[in-house]
Amino acid sequence: MEFLGLVNYALFMAIFIAIYALLALGLNIQWGFAGLFNAGIAGFFAVGAYTSAILTTEAVDGRIGGFDLHFVIGWIGAMIAAALVAWPIGKICLRFRSDYLAIASIGIAEIIRLVIKSEPALTNGARGIPGIPRPMSDIGYMESQVAYLIIVLAVLIAAYVLVERQFNAPWGRMMRAIRDNEDAAKAMGKDVEFRRLEAFIFGAALMGLGGALFAHFNRSITPEAIDPMVATFLVWIMLILGGSGNNRGAILGAAVVWIIWSVSEIATDRLPHEYAIQAKYIRLFLIGLMLQLVLRFRPEGLLPEPLRGDQRSAKGGADH
Amino acid sequence: MDLFELLNFYVIPGIVLGSIYALGAVGITLIFAILRYAHLAHGDLATLGAFIALAVVTTLGVSPLAALPVAIIATAAVAVGIDKVFYDHLRERPKIVTVMASLGIALMIRAVVQVVWGVDTETYSRGIVRPENYFGLRIRDREIYTVIAMLALVGVLHVFLTQSKWGKAMRAMSDNPNLALLSGIDNRKVIVLTWVIAGGLCAASGFFLGLNTELKSMMGWHMLLPMFAAAILGGVGRVEGAVLGGLIVGIAEELSVLVIPSEYKAAMAFAILLFMLLVRPTGLLKGKVL
Amino acid sequence: MKTKLLTLAAGLMTATALATVPAKADVKIGLIGGVSGPIAAMAPAMIDAAQLAVQQVNEQGGIGDGEKLVGVVGDSACNPQGGTDAATKAVNIEGVAGIVGPHCSGAVLAAAGSVTIPAGVTLVTPSGTSPEITNLEDNDSVFRTVPSDDYQGRALARTLKDMGYGKVAVAYLNNDYGTGLANAFKTEYVDALGGEITQFAAHEEGKASYRSNLAELAKGGADTLVIFDYGDGTGLTILRQALENGFFEKFVGGDGMKSDAVINELGAENLANFVSSSPVGEKSDSLDIFNEAFKGVGGDPDAIFANTSYDAAFLLALALEKTGGRKEGVGAALREVSNGEGEAIRPGEWQKAKELIAAGTAIDYKGAAGDHNFDAKGDVPGTFALFEVGADGFEVVSEMN
Repeated sequence: MEFLGLVNYALFMAIFIAIYALLALGLNIQWGFAGLFNAGIAGFFAVGAYTSAILTTEAVDGRIGGFDLHFVIGWIGAMIAAALVAWPIGKICLRFRSDYLAIASIGIAEIIRLVIKSEPALTNGARGIPGIPRPMSDIGYMESQVAYLIIVLAVLIAAYVLVERQFNAPWGRMMRAIRDNEDAAKAMGKDVEFRRLEAFIFGAALMGLGGALFAHFNRSITPEAIDPMVATFLVWIMLILGGSGNNRGAILGAAVVWIIWSVSEIATDRLPHEYAIQAKYIRLFLIGLMLQLVLRFRPEGLLPEPLRGDQRSAKGGADH
Repeated sequence: MDLFELLNFYVIPGIVLGSIYALGAVGITLIFAILRYAHLAHGDLATLGAFIALAVVTTLGVSPLAALPVAIIATAAVAVGIDKVFYDHLRERPKIVTVMASLGIALMIRAVVQVVWGVDTETYSRGIVRPENYFGLRIRDREIYTVIAMLALVGVLHVFLTQSKWGKAMRAMSDNPNLALLSGIDNRKVIVLTWVIAGGLCAASGFFLGLNTELKSMMGWHMLLPMFAAAILGGVGRVEGAVLGGLIVGIAEELSVLVIPSEYKAAMAFAILLFMLLVRPTGLLKGKVL
Repeated sequence: MKTKLLTLAAGLMTATALATVPAKADVKIGLIGGVSGPIAAMAPAMIDAAQLAVQQVNEQGGIGDGEKLVGVVGDSACNPQGGTDAATKAVNIEGVAGIVGPHCSGAVLAAAGSVTIPAGVTLVTPSGTSPEITNLEDNDSVFRTVPSDDYQGRALARTLKDMGYGKVAVAYLNNDYGTGLANAFKTEYVDALGGEITQFAAHEEGKASYRSNLAELAKGGADTLVIFDYGDGTGLTILRQALENGFFEKFVGGDGMKSDAVINELGAENLANFVSSSPVGEKSDSLDIFNEAFKGVGGDPDAIFANTSYDAAFLLALALEKTGGRKEGVGAALREVSNGEGEAIRPGEWQKAKELIAAGTAIDYKGAAGDHNFDAKGDVPGTFALFEVGADGFEVVSEMN
């Protein structure tokens, strides 16, 4: 193995981690700070990815779009579209508490996935949309990965700084107050429903942006990418493992989980040649086992939510 | 379309499918009510149960129905073991941590099934079974077994929960855990019992899915979301509700092709669920509010 | 804990780095497939078939000066996330000179777009049937040994019309494979040939019952059901429930339905009225040679896409022989070893091919699943035959054109 190969692999992982970190950050706004159990990440991811794909690809007969716009417009469009989809969903569903919201949002995400798979006029159906432009792609392999990583990192850092600032601002304190004690917050005159909706929409917009970054990186988006396992549950594992309520935790969680996910394959490839296929199943077993171990020894996450003032007793808003 | 066609090709398959969902949903609803988290490994546990039955059928050569009790007992034991090794020490933690742990367990169980039994599609018995004709109703014998077994298992469970000491303890835990603990109910025994029941029913659910169609390593995972929809639809913590929810989801899925394109069949369970959550957030039979 | 984990990750990486220092002059190819995920039941046979080609190459002299060909298995999980991850590892960690796979079209599009095209590694997919793959801007580095859905759907439509099938109903899996075949079939059967399709409906995979779907499909009075699905997945469930309830008399499948699972689980005696199409070589015994060889290593030749996987690996090996094991120029070499001109090479004839290449003679690979004369887009037109279920598994009924 060449050194350059390792660098390329590391670059690839870094890009993936940054994209998933955006999703985890979005989820952290919803779950970590507002206590909203959104299990429909895949839906917003899909809306963002497909919106950007439709806006930036060239026109094709038989489906809408192909507006051939600049990728930045596509990404902004992805955030707006995800937020617009989140608005009515939040309006209707945020009244459900915790696990009910989870099952409702997972259902909506599945319905979105079925629509995307089944409506060729909108999304090219099951075939997906290829030919999505990737910025700075006409330079060499490694150079283009570096360029894309820089773009993705810039987006991630911008998102992190904005979110972090909000969390430490009065807005963040208010959100935590609503999460930890809704009645008290209401009594203080906070508009709980509106604030929840706000958090839900912001989180969804970040997820949409993550979807768009993913689609442009692969230059294509197909319905397989929005399978609940890889687009919803994986992000949840990242956030819980990294530490919900902590933005750095969300990013670290994305890194750790993706590294486990990806590197475990190389590790299990060391099994004898005859077991090359079984090794892939064993890999999934190891991923599950690693998850158990981390949860066993760090159930509060790798980077727990920082204790701010008097909220020692109020971790993890779902514990009703 | 005449009545018999409606019954034969839409309602009866729906009832059979609904019975399979119901068996899984009862376990989900009990875990929800007593342990208070969503158990995402439920589908894969059902797969494991189905494959254990397959192992019994192929090694001993007995009929599939004879293998069912073995599968139920073995899967119940596995469920208790998983709880002891992986979930038990997370009990005092936020429930979301256990939900994530169960996701990892789902991956692990599936990996075990794939390594032990391979990934080929299997059946309990080769060939096809054409339905019998009962006064115009076309039913296969295994469909009758499925519905009867579901009713019998749930009936026994119902009697257990309402009549026996431990059943009452379980209901008490579900209704008010603090009060139940104060009144001297042994928390750990209740939890073990919950897992025995949930694991056993799970195996039955996987077994009947396999009996009516085929066994595949992903079969349980595909059933997970409809089973959750059924449990919530019926009202969390309500065993009869889970049965009702399962049947409604099953029949609605089958009937849905009459009105919507068949590629949207899978959306039906969620559409019903969303509608129900809006008009009646506690489920059809008044369940717990989590 | 954080540091512990990082150390662990770093440790794993280092261990891997040490372990993967390649033995001198091995030539590696990536065998990337959906080992986990929705097509988990199909992937092992496909990978085994590709490994058979690798084994034959090594038994008959290897690449170049007896360098060993090594197939490195990767798991694409049938989704873009897994596909790009596996391709990146194959290209960068293993240093493969070419890739057979990924198996699913979505993974092919993503892996090609973000990894193999930029890295200049050639990819031959044995089962990515989506028409979108045709139009990739790939610098001649994306090929496939399975015909695009378009060809097969149309060929099947013409054959059915010739054989006198009348009204048919079509059930297809709602993914790129099923949709592609079904739409091509519909276009040809209805628009070009004036046939009648009474019902045309997609279904989701993994449901336990399709009887209501079948009841809907049966409305309109068609006696034939055309199924575009996988015979070891949902297609089996549909075929079973259709047979059990007597919704249709005759059944037709695409290549995905030509699966041993159908015979094993339903029994040959119940499948007298079931035919399926599958790509084969034009008037050659290549398929038989492959079938024998694959049986010899314990494989089942009726497994879906096993022959296309074998061909993909064998073609890639031939191209690598031409380029001396380097990834550069594999695309051009693939065209040279299979363009319809030159001495015919059939499956397993590695030694002969090697000698001919060394002598500078043009060769032409006649594969188990077709002649694979790549067109300008890297697609193969494909020739098909219709199979029925006989005493010893699938048997050819007629050529299709």
